[in-house]
Amino acid sequence: MGRIKMAALAALAIMVVALLWVPAAHAKTLYVGGTQSLTGPFAEDSAAVLAAIEDYVKYVNTTKNLAPWRTEKWPADVTLEVLWRDDALMPAKALPIYEELKGKGMLVARISGSPIALALKDRMWEDGMGATSMATGPYYLSPPQSCFTYYPIYTDCMGAIADWFKGNWKETRKPKVAYLTADNAMGKSIEIPEMKAYLEQIGYEFVGIQYVPLVPTSPPTTQLTWLKEKGVDLALGVMINPGSQPTVKEMVRLGMGPFQTYKMTFGVASPGHAVVFADAMGQLGDGYVCAGSFPPWDDPAPGVKFMLEAQKASHPGKFVSHIMYQGGFLEGMIQVEALRLAMEKVPFEKLTPRAVLENGFYRIKNLPTGDISSTPLTYGPGDVEGVDQIRIDQVQKGKAVKVGLTPLRHIFTKK
Amino acid sequence: MALGIGTFQENYAQDMSIFHSPLQWGSVLVFILFLFTCPLFFSDRILTILTMMGISVISVHGLNILTGYCGQISIGHAGFMAVGGYTSAVLCAKLGAPFWAALPCGALAAGIAGLIFGLPSLKIKGFYLIMATIAAHFIIIWTIIQLHSITGGADGLSVPRAKIGSISLSSKTNYFYMVMGLTCLATLVAKNIVRTKAGRAFIAIRDNDLAAEVMGVSLWSYKLQAFFIGCVYAGVAGSLLTHYYSFASTDQFPFMDSVWYLGMLIVGGMGSTTGAVLGAVALKLLDELVTIAGPILSAAVAPQAAASLALISHGLVIIIFLIFEPRGLHHRWEMIKAYFRLWPFSHEVSE
Repeated sequence: MGRIKMAALAALAIMVVALLWVPAAHAKTLYVGGTQSLTGPFAEDSAAVLAAIEDYVKYVNTTKNLAPWRTEKWPADVTLEVLWRDDALMPAKALPIYEELKGKGMLVARISGSPIALALKDRMWEDGMGATSMATGPYYLSPPQSCFTYYPIYTDCMGAIADWFKGNWKETRKPKVAYLTADNAMGKSIEIPEMKAYLEQIGYEFVGIQYVPLVPTSPPTTQLTWLKEKGVDLALGVMINPGSQPTVKEMVRLGMGPFQTYKMTFGVASPGHAVVFADAMGQLGDGYVCAGSFPPWDDPAPGVKFMLEAQKASHPGKFVSHIMYQGGFLEGMIQVEALRLAMEKVPFEKLTPRAVLENGFYRIKNLPTGDISSTPLTYGPGDVEGVDQIRIDQVQKGKAVKVGLTPLRHIFTKK
Repeated sequence: MALGIGTFQENYAQDMSIFHSPLQWGSVLVFILFLFTCPLFFSDRILTILTMMGISVISVHGLNILTGYCGQISIGHAGFMAVGGYTSAVLCAKLGAPFWAALPCGALAAGIAGLIFGLPSLKIKGFYLIMATIAAHFIIIWTIIQLHSITGGADGLSVPRAKIGSISLSSKTNYFYMVMGLTCLATLVAKNIVRTKAGRAFIAIRDNDLAAEVMGVSLWSYKLQAFFIGCVYAGVAGSLLTHYYSFASTDQFPFMDSVWYLGMLIVGGMGSTTGAVLGAVALKLLDELVTIAGPILSAAVAPQAAASLALISHGLVIIIFLIFEPRGLHHRWEMIKAYFRLWPFSHEVSE
């Protein structure tokens, strides 16, 4: 009993010390990283993002370079350190984590998912804290605040696919479009009047909406048959791969697809990454279109080569193939660039989150990412989307192939 | 609350009082004083943690009245919190109602939702009631999403910063004071509810509903009262949470939160107001410990070691308590108090 009490008291003491302890700041250290969702539906994505940020920081600390294609140097006397905590995708955990990291002197932050974005974005705006974001939703645009994305929001992705499809449309009749989207907040976020108006404006006939569970437990036969009966030519949606893969398998079984008897193209926004889809589905998934995604690992882009080398240098025995590693690498680049630009204007000792937002994030113009992002990244007050064009990939012969680059239409205008 | 050595009750009022001795009164006053001086020496982070703890304590008090005292197990508590949160958010954001008016309205709305979803408890209990309350959670969340024009649906709803009169609650310190004030009030009310006729009826229903009914306790009335009161607490907690975020979103009320609230009750000790406080504080502290331990574990073992650490630790702690201390921390606390009450002449088993 006595020993148990002692152990309990020791545990309590450790807990109190851990809660109150603030590490002494090292000479000229800046922190990057932020909150991660290593528990929950985005666990794998977050783990890949974290690995990428760590690899990029290691590269910068070692070489003092920012990327092989860049001439600017990272200050030799400043060391970067990655700080992170697992928020388990729970807003209630993210709040104290944000306060803790801010208290430790973090000048940049990150958002790990929509629930965290909704809980933190107003607070970050009030604190003048700039943050990179893995989530990309319309809530960032009304009004624009201090969270910066590196791929377009879903409605712009839908618009890009619609533009691309219309560009390839040969028939004289109006193409018919419908939503085939996930039955959750993410999937339904494209259901805005502006989106439908845009589709009709560029010459589509809007037919209706069908929902598929985020992760279907049975093939969405009813929904697909409905699309077939209505004569839909283009189905648009926001889905993750566990949703889009069974949907496309059932499409093929029903003879639907661009290379099937019934011609219909299915296009999704970036969470349904074409690279991941192609690896899992092979040629069965031919014709699947994804907008706003990242390049495949065998792409000759300099950014991809850079990431492969960074991985080899950091952990030669283990290759992180998850596509969100590329997202994490971009986040590392953006955060480090914001800090670097801020240091050009403000002395190190006087750096604050607001100073980094105003002199760092807002001054990021045409940041070259080696083609990891659709276009070089540009941010500013009111400009939080980063890219100005959207990459469109299609699965062809079991491989993700870049088929287009479409300008951002800024479809979401709600204030 | 057990009595100290040498404390005697001479009349009914003394017997029923919550605090029996000057030492107990003194301890409470010192604790309250400490609580309200926290902003002077704690960082924003600690204040945020304490604020979230306070909100959890209020919510768990509600669940304790419903489940701990009345025996009506609910795993839909987060859903009722959502009703309270959204009601006050809509009132403030769409109708311009002041926070002080929106908060009780949110509580009332959650209470009414509790009455509606509590109706099945008149016919079903145990496992079936659990299923009904789970259904309640999903029905509530679905309804909120469907009422897009009012609630903002899946996009959520921006809520203006809370204000009481000319006092803005936008600072962490002010909000902390308000939450702590309400937490103390909620604890006092919860403690008193149990000592009322209704409280005794709740316990009778929990212990044996058939016997209670035979003795004249109206199951219909008291079960619904328990649902109403429990959900009013949930409504207050939901409203406080929404205004703290300045944003209402269904993501803030995930189903798993309901499970963890029940877990807090198990860890703290069901059927005890002190247990509800201890359980909420303990699991929230565990959350923080796990958050700190994650990166350390990840660096020392493997990057994946930190994944799902919170889920695992919460689950493990609940299992350990269910097996080794089903009466929860409250019981342990009583044992510690009993030990020190006799100290230094504590009873030892001699050979």
